[in-house]
Formats: sequence, structure tokens, C-alpha cells
Amino acid sequence: MPNIDRRDFIKLVGAGSVGVGAGFMLRETIKHPTEQLIPHVIAPEDFSTGIATWYNTVCSMCAAGCGISVRTREGRAKKIEGNPSHPVSQGRLCALGQAGLQVLYNPDRLTGPLMQTGQRGSGSFAQVTWQEGLDKVADRLELLTAENQGNRIGLLSQGVRGHLAQLFELFADQLGSERLLHYDFDHPHTLYAANHRFFGEARLPYYDLKNTRYLLSFGADYLGNWISPVHHSLGFGHSRQGRSDVRGRFVQIEPRMSMSGAAADEWISAKPGTEGILALGLAHRIVSEGHYSGVDRDDWTTALSGYTTDQVAEQTGVGADTIRRIADTFVHTEPSLAIGGGSAANHSNGVDTLVAVNALNYLVANIGKPGGLVFNPEPAGPASQDRQASYRTMLELAEDAKQGNIEILILNGTNPVFSLPSAGFEEALAEIPLIVSLSSFMDETTALADIILPSHTYLESWGDDFPEPGVGFSIGSVSQPVVSPLYNTRATGDIVLQLAKQAGLSDAIPWSSMKDFIKDGWRLIYDRGGLDTQKESFESFWRSILKAGVWGEKTHRDPAFTLDKRVINSIAVPPPEFSGSSDAYPFILHPYVSTTLHDGHAANLPWMQELPDPMTSVVYGSWVEINPATAGQMNLKEGDLVDIESPHGQIRAPVYVYPAIMPGVIAMPIGQGHVTYGRYANRGVNPIEILSPRVDQRTGALASSATRVKIKATGRRIELVKTGGNSRELGREIVQTTGGKASQGHSAKLNSIPITVVPT
Amino acid sequence: MSILDRIADGWRKYRKPGYYDEFDYHWGMTVDLDRCTGCEACVTACQSENNLPIVGEKAFAEGREVKWIRIERYWEGEFPDVKLRFIPMLCQHCDSAPCETVCPVSATYHNQDGLNTQVYNRCIGTRSCAVYCPYEVRYFNFYDHHWDSPLDQQLNPDVTVREKGVMEKCTFCIQRIRQAKDVAKDDGRRRVRDGEVQPACVQTCPTQALVFGDRKDPESQVSKLMNNPRTYRVLDELNTDSSVVYLKKVEDDHA
Amino acid sequence: MPEAKELQYADIHRDVVRSIVETGPKYYITLGTAIFVTLLCFFFPWFYQLYYGIGAAGLNHPQVWGTYLASFIFWIGLSHSGTLLSCVLHLTNSSWRKAMYRSAEAMTLFSLVVAFTFVMVHLGRPWFIHWSLPYPNQMEMWPNFRSPLLFDVMAITTYLTGSAIFIYMGSIPDFAAVRDRTIGWRNTMYTLLSLGWRGTDREWHRLHWAYTFLAVLIIPLAVSVHSIVSWDFALSIVPALHQTIFAPYFVVGAIYSGTAGIVTVMFILRKYMDFGQYITKVHFDNLGKLLLVLSLIWTYINMVELFTGWYSGASTEHEALQYKLFGYYAPLYWEMILFCAVAPLLCISKRFRTSFVPMLILSIAVNIGMYTERFLIVGTSLSRQYLPDAWGLYVPSLVELSIILGSFALFSTFFLIFVKIFPSVSMYEVKETMSTPKTEPEAPPEGNPA
Ligand SMILES: Nc1nc2c(c(=O)[nH]1)N[C@H]1C(S)=C(S)[C@@H](COP(=O)(O)OP(=O)(O)OC[C@H]3O[C@@H](n4cnc5c(=O)[nH]c(N)nc54)[C@H](O)[C@@H]3O)O[C@H]1N2
Ligand code: SF4
Ligand code: SF4
Ligand code: SF4
Ligand code: SF4
Ligand code: SF4
Repeated sequence: MPNIDRRDFIKLVGAGSVGVGAGFMLRETIKHPTEQLIPHVIAPEDFSTGIATWYNTVCSMCAAGCGISVRTREGRAKKIEGNPSHPVSQGRLCALGQAGLQVLYNPDRLTGPLMQTGQRGSGSFAQVTWQEGLDKVADRLELLTAENQGNRIGLLSQGVRGHLAQLFELFADQLGSERLLHYDFDHPHTLYAANHRFFGEARLPYYDLKNTRYLLSFGADYLGNWISPVHHSLGFGHSRQGRSDVRGRFVQIEPRMSMSGAAADEWISAKPGTEGILALGLAHRIVSEGHYSGVDRDDWTTALSGYTTDQVAEQTGVGADTIRRIADTFVHTEPSLAIGGGSAANHSNGVDTLVAVNALNYLVANIGKPGGLVFNPEPAGPASQDRQASYRTMLELAEDAKQGNIEILILNGTNPVFSLPSAGFEEALAEIPLIVSLSSFMDETTALADIILPSHTYLESWGDDFPEPGVGFSIGSVSQPVVSPLYNTRATGDIVLQLAKQAGLSDAIPWSSMKDFIKDGWRLIYDRGGLDTQKESFESFWRSILKAGVWGEKTHRDPAFTLDKRVINSIAVPPPEFSGSSDAYPFILHPYVSTTLHDGHAANLPWMQELPDPMTSVVYGSWVEINPATAGQMNLKEGDLVDIESPHGQIRAPVYVYPAIMPGVIAMPIGQGHVTYGRYANRGVNPIEILSPRVDQRTGALASSATRVKIKATGRRIELVKTGGNSRELGREIVQTTGGKASQGHSAKLNSIPITVVPT
Repeated sequence: MSILDRIADGWRKYRKPGYYDEFDYHWGMTVDLDRCTGCEACVTACQSENNLPIVGEKAFAEGREVKWIRIERYWEGEFPDVKLRFIPMLCQHCDSAPCETVCPVSATYHNQDGLNTQVYNRCIGTRSCAVYCPYEVRYFNFYDHHWDSPLDQQLNPDVTVREKGVMEKCTFCIQRIRQAKDVAKDDGRRRVRDGEVQPACVQTCPTQALVFGDRKDPESQVSKLMNNPRTYRVLDELNTDSSVVYLKKVEDDHA
Repeated sequence: MPEAKELQYADIHRDVVRSIVETGPKYYITLGTAIFVTLLCFFFPWFYQLYYGIGAAGLNHPQVWGTYLASFIFWIGLSHSGTLLSCVLHLTNSSWRKAMYRSAEAMTLFSLVVAFTFVMVHLGRPWFIHWSLPYPNQMEMWPNFRSPLLFDVMAITTYLTGSAIFIYMGSIPDFAAVRDRTIGWRNTMYTLLSLGWRGTDREWHRLHWAYTFLAVLIIPLAVSVHSIVSWDFALSIVPALHQTIFAPYFVVGAIYSGTAGIVTVMFILRKYMDFGQYITKVHFDNLGKLLLVLSLIWTYINMVELFTGWYSGASTEHEALQYKLFGYYAPLYWEMILFCAVAPLLCISKRFRTSFVPMLILSIAVNIGMYTERFLIVGTSLSRQYLPDAWGLYVPSLVELSIILGSFALFSTFFLIFVKIFPSVSMYEVKETMSTPKTEPEAPPEGNPA
């Protein structure tokens, strides 16, 4: 045993520990290459994700009717995606469509039937059983029908299509009521009317964005929320970079840049309400330059004589050069397409404006052609009447109610108290003895109901849809419940069927469930013949439709169309009229349907409240957009609270200085300002409150862009909640661009722009 | 070979360009700015797929929102010659990721598929990775988030819910990648087919601006798009060697 | 030591031991207040934050770092010039060091401890902080050796260990001196602490050798610590943080704020612990000169930093610069310039340097300025990064402000406890500076100093 003293021992232990430690670390360094530093946290090989069940059904978040696939796990809906085989959505979906889950799982849903116990509007409701609720309503219905007083029953629904619409019609018919109306704030009445006037039918054609090479959009925010945004976006993407030979170009004409304006190659601001005049100016240029050679050429020349380029430039504020250039490009780029809607259609001359837009399509002969405007065949489903109530019709309904002509009003998912300006609708409701609401949520109108029979959400119900507009050929989709109902609610159709049964109408309406009703309806489609599907039995046809979620038939409509001379002769766009004098009210209010919250029905979805507005990045609130120069003159900065006053009311909102809005116009999104629509929705202000009741003369549709306002600083300010920091790039080349000046004028060699083809 | 040589060799190998080529996949994404309309369907899709919290107005105002993919917007010019340009911004899955070097506990690392992964369990919440990431796509959980019942029923069971104090960010929907690999394995295929993995944002994009796939497969959509003359990388000058490649917006100016 | 003319060895012992054993109500009130404020302003808000999440602080995106990290750098900075200065002065044999180095070293130690608590406060999940240590474990998980944060962990741990050993080793003879003058539990405690020191020549020789060795070792260590702290920032690619000058900048800044801190502490010791005879104008004069030199170097580096940012021509650097100089936090920037670059110029005057109260005010101003500097480094750079759309603003919350305030109370608590355990003036080294006593005092049974 060598002689080791205490000190040597300590030295040895120290050296030994260091050596062992160093050796260990060295070994570890060699053993593990860097990418395997942390083997434990790399998921084990046998980690497996769960197996989901997918159901195909239909999105009901807007009127587009996209087909969706809902992913479920253990009986709960987890994710909504587009149904790849559905021609409208083709597997894609918009943000709102994604947020449908939050309709289903919304914490503010009504969980069972309620009866108003206090004063109307007091908000005090008591839970009742379905039987109690249904009895109360059915008894009154039966009584009125028996007394031949059926017309004293009002049925006011949100826009519905397919067999639910048919069921409502059947129901109203059997009750003896002619008061069956649909009401949606953003229904394009003027577009239907313009098509009726021009094409002779009040339907929507298919706009073939996908194949067009030059699109002129007069105020239609086709990528945001106009008619069928997902389908338009698909078309847009394809038109832009989906073809090897050409890149589609897009021009947007509107006083305030929308999402579609931002996506456009060229954004033009014409004076509000003069979009139709501009369209006729373009038409004049096309005809007068001899680019139109139809037989009715002379009629056009005469009709358009008042729309010379200079006159139109003067009236619209758009430069004469621009008018000439656009007209020439429009006629030389085949196929080209003109669409109109949004603010351009919401003026006192809305229908005339959209007729003028149709005229442009006619003059470049794109009707029935790919890349142009294609007529849809008759829908395969039940042919129901267009029951959409215009503003004027709603006023009449209110007047009727005030006269005491309405005993019962049954509301289905529509919220006119929120979305009808200065109509006195609330007072009118006070005159109705019994108000029944079938809403899934408490909202401003439902809060005034006496009985609430809450309906399932679309993800818990049977239904079907025949999208309007179609996609150029016949399609229909069936929607099926993807989860079992969360609460003590019932499907709208089932409630109606039950009411019919209890009101003694079961002879005419014998179905016991909506599912049966729909299935019988589809039997008719199946029976109509000519379908490949008839090779199989109906049951297997039905099952295959449920599985696919959609059914389609490649039937095309004959594109032939002759224009009535009288239409040409009457073509004219009168100048727009506004409420309020320009001296007292220097600004024109441009209210637009919010991209995230739509007309306000999506305001109770937290994902939508937290989704930054595409243009301003603002979340959770209202704001008013003002041109930077105007804001400068008025010494207004972002967040300054201003009072916006029209002849019809006043609201307060913070300023957002918006670089792309005309001076003299201020814009506000519609959608916020709820008070009884649940925890997420009750915030912000509702610009509908200050809109003037002016209407489009021909349809009675609300001219929502025809209100003048003034703004007053309040001296107070708030911090806008938004994601955007600095809105300028500062030359950092974050969003890089190419092309640009290289390709000029209408004769631009579009081939010179790099195109990307996505192999699909 | 001496021990030192072996260590040096390991490091050299690791730092060699194309190191990740030795592995099975190299996932990447292209974003066509000429298609993107700023519609933000991708934002909501990601929120839905990956259990991103609903933070509420107050937290949003405080700058504590969580969006693994966001749309940035940049105005150009003044009225009336004004443009608004959108750009989707998500984790670029940099092959030379600044965020990875700084994490003291390797809670964020590069996996063999070329993904910048985030291991929530390992994260201690220094937030340095968020500082080091020039794209500012890392989001920190400033609170424990709460889903008002029954909103919790929509949570995706294949994705964890993160607790307060940890960092999170886009994973390229790693759960979908794994699922696709499982399916391929069950089918007896060695590889996942092109297009078989679609992250939620890519899946939903209505203009098809987003394309995802394997950069190692020369026939994949994403590889082909990456050869497009319009491609560029955001903040390329920082040499992050990102896996998200943008395609320039075409500005077809009229005048 | 001009003022200590009448001083005898015995006086030193008397004074110092008295400061340890005789505790008046004033001390207890001060200690009680410090502990109370620590609990109320530091631990209570911190526990609230642990419960609620980091959201209790004002941090947000993109501003994920804030005052906690600024405070961390500040305290690390303050820790310099304690031990570091002591080492330098020891090696250069500066006689005036001897009266104050013990408290300076204690400052180092406690600043580091407080800095460490700020790391804990900063972390999202501090209960897992041990994951940043390389210990063999069954899960085979190692920290990331490429991370500057890990360098930090290593550097600070080493520095903390080094400083602790240094202060302890230097105190052993004094522990022995106290041991010999106390009874009861104190005697037991100091017997243990003094490790059987007898004051033999051999012991003195060994002590000097080890002490000098440590002093040499600690200097590069201290320099490396703040260099490494600076790399947490400089190794990022954040505009205005990605700076090669950061390491010297941080080291100089650290020594600068540390020196100012020493002035403050010495003033307090002098005033409240009756150490007027040991801490004299000479000390203040010398420290004033040091402050002046450091201030000039600091200002120079600051200007270089601005210049390189501007000269880069990069939009990002320019914006970061612009924001720092004229943005939301610009008043703080100019306050920092006033306190750290302009005010210390007063030290040119000897009269100023030797006036106690003005020096105190200056020292506090410098540290306020230096805290501001750290806040601006973290606070302004992160709000203006590459993608303008992601820019943001950060305002510290009440919780943060309270924790900052509380950290001073925490530091004071440590210090107050320290002065009751350690002889806060190094007795034997003070004696070294005195002339040999003429008359034999009641001889202490200890060895021959020097
Ligand atoms: N539906 C249902 N639920 C049950 C039961 C039931 O019969 N049916 N039984 C109950 C009972 S009795 C039990 S004991 C529990 C068991 O419940 P668990 O403990 O959850 O059991 P497993 O799913 O078998 O294994 C868990 C995980 O461990 C992983 N694993 C396998 N080997 C290793 C390894 O070496 N290291 C590490 N780190 N991971 C490994 C596997 O991949 C798997 O992901 O379930 C309970 N729950
Ligand atoms: S466009 Fe309408 S129908 Fe289609 S997904 Fe969006 S909300 Fe649903
Ligand atoms: S979904 Fe597509 S088009 Fe819409 S914002 Fe995202 S990337 Fe752009
Ligand atoms: S984008 Fe940021 S988070 Fe993603 S890998 Fe790159 S540095 Fe890391
Ligand atoms: S926040 Fe988490 S992932 Fe990021 S650096 Fe810190 S520990 Fe790593
Ligand atoms: S890839 Fe997945 S995780 Fe990443 S942004 Fe897209 S959806 Fe979100």
C-alpha cells in the first residue's frame, strides 16, 4: 500500500473526477452527432395519430354553398375543410367556412326552448319543454288557419335554398299565408333585377373568372364576400398563374380599395355612384371606335351618345386616357369579363349601373363563352321563388304589423332589428301579438321573441343546397349531421314539420322528419331520368351522394341570347342621389360588409373576431377609414374617436387613416355593434344605424352607399387593436415584385410576364 | 482516426451544405404572391388545426396574440396610385436557423426532415429564439389559455395544447406529415406521395397560393415551383437558408 | 491614511468587531424594512407572475425581452468592479483599496445572486432551469453548447464560485480575529469559518499566494462574464444588437456602473457604519478619477456604436438608430447621455471628487443612466426589427417595476446580513497600511501582519 496522505488523496479524487467527467463528455460528443442531441424528444416511431371520420356536407356560413368535409373524432367535429369533389369549393375554404365549428361549439348557443317571462326586450326567459313551446305556437297557427286568417301569419327567414325553402313554401301555403319572406342584409337585389332586365331572367349567371384574361369589376369584392368568394378565389388564382400562356389581369373600380382592389393590377376610384356611368363611357368608346359590329350597332350608338369619353371623365372623375385605355384593353383582350356589385350596386341607380355592366359583357360578346358570362341551367332541386325581401318590402311588412295585420311572426335565423336602418322595425314588432324565433342564438331580434324554439346548427342538421349561382352546370349537395346534437335543440325543418303536424296540416305535409322530406325530394331528382345514376337503385344513389356530398350533371345551358331592343334604347345611368346636403354633410359614407364578420352574423365567432381585417389588420372593433390628406386637414390620427353624424343618427368610432380611399368618402365595416349576440359579439358600433332609408328606385333595395355624413372630433382617442406595426416596407424588399413597367398598354405581351403553372 | 479527428469530422459533416440531403425528406413550401389575396383562410385553418388559443381582446391589444401564420400588409405609394401588398409570414424552417443555435436546452432543433421543430416539453421559456428569429414568427404563451366550454371540444386531439411559459410556432403541421408517413407505411410504400401531405394552411388556400412538398423529390410541385424565375427568399441576405420560398408578385403596371 | 493618524491596531479591532456584535434598533428596523419590501415588492409580484404567466409583465410580441433581462445585465454589471476592482488593485498594490474591498466583493457576490434571481423571474418555466445544466441523465438530454445563453450559465456560475471563494479566503484572518474576541455561538461560528487559522508565517504565506493566484484568475473571468452576457445580444441578428463592439462595451459599462455602485456603498458604510476613519476622501478622489476615465471610454464606445449603425447604410440599422434617438423612448436615451456621458465630467474637479454628497448623487445618477442603457438595448432594438409590419411597443408593467424596486431591497437584505457576519472592513489589510505601533498595545494573539 503506497503511502497516501490526506492531501494526495484529495488531489487524486479531484483529478479523477475531472478526468471521468471530461472522458464522459468526450464520449457523449462522439456518440451523438449534433442532430441527435435530444433523442428522447423525437417522437417515438410508434407514435400514431388518431383515425378520423370525415363527413361531407355543405357550408352554411354564407350563400355561396361550398361543399365541405368535416373531420370528426370520437363524435366531435374537429376541423372543416373544403370537399375536394365539390365544384364550388374544390377542396378549398374561406376563413369563415373554417370558423363554422364555432357556430356548433359556441358557448353562447341557446340550449333549449325558452319563453319570454317579462316585458319584451327585458331579456328574461324561462326554460320550457319542446311540447309546451310547440303547443303554444301550433295552437295559434291552427286557430288562424281554421278561421281563414292564415295571411295574418308572417314567416321571415334568412335566405334558404333547396328543400328547406320548399318546406317553408309548403308550410306557408297550407297555412294560407302569403307573408313568407327571406331577409338578408347583403342580398344582391339589384343584380337580380339588372339581370332580369337585361337577360330576361332574375338569376345569377356563372362568371368564369378562371378562364378570363381581363376582368373589370365595378365595386364587386368578389374575393372578399361577393356571391361566391372561394370559387372566385380559385378562379382568380388560376387566371393569374394557372395557365402557361397568359396571366389574367384584373381591374377594380371602387371608391375604397377592397381586398379585390388590392389584388387587382389596377385600382381606379370613380366618384361614388358613377360606376355605371363609367361603364357606359367604356361602352361608348367600344362602339364609337367601331369595335362592336353587331346588328344592333346603331341602337347602341344612339343609346350611348350621351356618354362620350370626355363627358364621362367629367362625371366620374376618372381620366379620359384611362377610360380610353381600359375600354380598348377590354375589347382587345379576349375573353374579358365585367362584373358589378358591392357599393356600385348599392346606390339609388344600382340596377341601371349593373345593366350598364351587363351591356359591356354584351358588347364584347363574351356571353356563353369560356372566360365570360355563362348562363346556369335550371337548378336540379326544387324550383322555389325568389322570396328575398328588399328594404321596401320590409318596410311594408313593418307597416302591416303596425296596422295590426300580423298575428304571429315566425323568425328563422334572420336579424332585421340589427340590419334594417331607420325602419322602425322594433316598434313594428311590438304590435305583433306572438313572435316566435327559431334561432340558434340570442340576437337583437330573437331577444324580442315570445317563444324561442332553438334550431340545430347546420353541422347537426339534414339539409341540401343547390348553389346560386351554379357553376355552369347542374349540381346539388346534401348536408348531413356530422355530430349528434349538443343541446336540446331541433333542426329547423323538423320544427316546421312538427308545427305543421300539430296545426293539423299533416295531410299536405306528411313527413315526420326533414331527412325523409329531403330524401323524397331527391327521389324526384333521381326519377327525373337522364341520369347516369339511374343505373343503380335509389338507395345506393342516395348513399353515394351522402358519401360524396355532392351530385352534378354535365348539362350545359344553350348560350344563345338575343337582346331586346327596348333594353338598349332605355340604357342610361342617372346620377346617384344622396341623403343629406353636401354642405351640411361633406362626406359620403361607404359602409361595406366586413370581410371577417360579414353582415354581422359571424360576429359571435371568436376566430372571426380575432382574424385581422385583411386591409387594416384591425380586430375586435369598429373603425372609420379616412383618406390621409383629409385626415391631415382635419388633424385626425389613427385612434382618434370621431362622431359620425348623418341626418338619421350618430355613432362614434375611432379613425383609421386609410391610404386607398377617395377624399370625400369615409368607409366603415358593417358587422360589429351587437348588443345581445353573446360574449364575443357585443362590441363596436353598427353603421347601419345611421344609414338613410333611400332605396334603389327600381327594386326598393336599400341604397346603403347613399348616405352623407359629417364627422366631428371628440378630442378623445383609443388604441386600435390590430396586428400591423408599420405599414410601409421602407425599401426592405419584403414583398418583391416583378414585371411592372416592362409590359405596357393594352397590347401588352402578357407572355412576357413570368407565368407559373401549377401541375394539378 | 483519433478522437479529435472524429469530433471535428462530426462537426464538419454537420455544417456541410446539403447535409440534410442524406435524409428521407426535405419539406418545403412555396408562396405565390401573385396568387395570394390576403384572404386569411390560411390563418384560420392553422388556428383550427393546431389548437391556437383565442386570446381575447385585452391580450390582443397587449400584443400577445398567437398566429403561426399571419398576413403582413405593406402599402406602396399614395392615393390614387396606391397599392396594398400582402405576404403570408410563417416559420421559414430555416436550414441555418438562428433560433436553433440560441436555445440553451435544444427545445428547438432541426429534425431529419429539414423541419425546425419545437419541443414544448423541453422549452424553459427564455424567449431567446423569438428574439433571434428575424421573421418574428415565434409566439410565446404569456398565459394559460382558456377555451370557453364547449369550444374546447373543437380542439384537435393530434396536437397538444401549450401551457403558459413555452414558445410555439408553425410546425409545418408535423402531425399531418406523420400521419401521411403512417399511411404510406401501412400501404407498403417507402415514401409519401407528392401532395399527400397538405398542411392546413396549404390545404385551404382558395387561390392555391401555397404549395407544400418534398424538396428532395425533383418531380414534386414544390421542387418545380422552386425553379421558377420568380422565386426569392424573404431576408435572403441573412443567409437563413429558409425552406419557404416566395414567388414574386407580378405587377403589371398599366402606365 | 491621513485621517487615521491616531488609530491603533486595537481600535480597528474594536470598531469592526463592535459593528458585528453590537446591533442597535436602527439596524433591526432597516433589516426589517428591507425584508418586508423584498417580500412585498419582489416575491409577491413574482409569485403572482408564476401563477398568471409572463403576461403579468408588459412583454409582448415582438418585445419578448424586457426589464427582467435589462435588470439581469444591470446586476451583472454592478457585480463588476467589486471583485474585479479588488483584484486589480490587489495586484497593483494600491493601498487605498484595503478599507473598502471587502464590501466591494460582497457587492459582487450579492449582485450576482440578484442577477440570477432575475434569470429565474425572466424564464417562462423557471422550475425547469436545471435543464440548462449539463448533468448526465437517463433521458440523455444535454443542453445546447452552441447557445450563448449556455455560455452565460457557465460564465456566471464560474464567476460566482470564484468570487465567493475569493471573498471567503480574504476574510479568513479576520474571521479568526473576530473569533478571538467573541464568545458563545459567535465564537463557534467564527471558529468554523476561520478554518483553524492561527496566523503562522506559513499560513500567511499560503494565503497571499492563493489570494494573488485567485486575483489573477478572476480578472479574465470577470471580463469574460460581461463579454459573454453581451453575446446573448450580439450573436443575434437583431438590428442594433448584432454588434461586434458589444463585448468591450458591456465590460466597460459593467466596470463603470460597478465603480459607481462602490461609491454609493462606501458612502453608506461611511455614514451609517461609522467607518469615516477608514473610508476617506482619498478613496473618493481615486474612485472619482476612475469614474471619469470609464465615462470617457463608455462615451466613446457609445459614439462608435451609433456611427457603425449609421455607416452600415442598412435600413434596419438606421431605423433602429432613429428609434433609439428620437423614438418613443428617446427621453430615456437623452437621460442616459446626460447621466453617463455629461455629468461625470464634473469629476475633472478635485473638489468635486472629494465632496461626499455630490459624489453620492453622481454615483446614483450614473447607475440610473446605466440601467437605462440596459433597458434601451433590450427595449428599443426588439421593437424595430426586419419586418416593419411586426414592429411593436413595450411598456413595462407594474409587476416589473415592483420587481425592479424589490430587487434593490433583496440586495440590501443580503448586504445587511453580510455586515453582521463578515468583518466588512478588512482588518488585517488596514493594519498593513499603518505604521508599526510605537507602544505595545494589549497584544492580540495573532500573527505578525505583513
Ligand atoms: N381504453 C382503455 N384504456 C385503458 C385501459 C384499457 O384496457 N382500455 N387499461 C388501463 C390500464 S390497466 C393501463 S396500465 C393504462 C396503460 O396506459 P399507457 O401507459 O398509456 O399505455 P400504452 O398505450 O400501452 O403505452 C404508452 C406509450 O408508451 C410508449 N412506449 C413504449 N415503449 C416505450 C419505451 O421504452 N420508452 C418510452 N418512453 N415510451 C415507450 C408507447 O409507444 C405508447 O405511446 O391504460 C389504462 N387505460
Ligand atoms: S364562401 Fe361561404 S359557403 Fe364558401 S366556405 Fe366561405 S362561408 Fe362557406
Ligand atoms: S389563404 Fe392563400 S390567398 Fe388567402 S391569405 Fe392565405 S396564402 Fe393568401
Ligand atoms: S423562421 Fe424563425 S423560427 Fe422559423 S426556423 Fe427560421 S429563425 Fe427559426
Ligand atoms: S423559449 Fe424555449 S425554445 Fe425558445 S430558446 Fe427558450 S427554451 Fe428554447
Ligand atoms: S404549415 Fe401548419 S402549422 Fe404551419 S402555418 Fe401552415 S397550418 Fe400552421
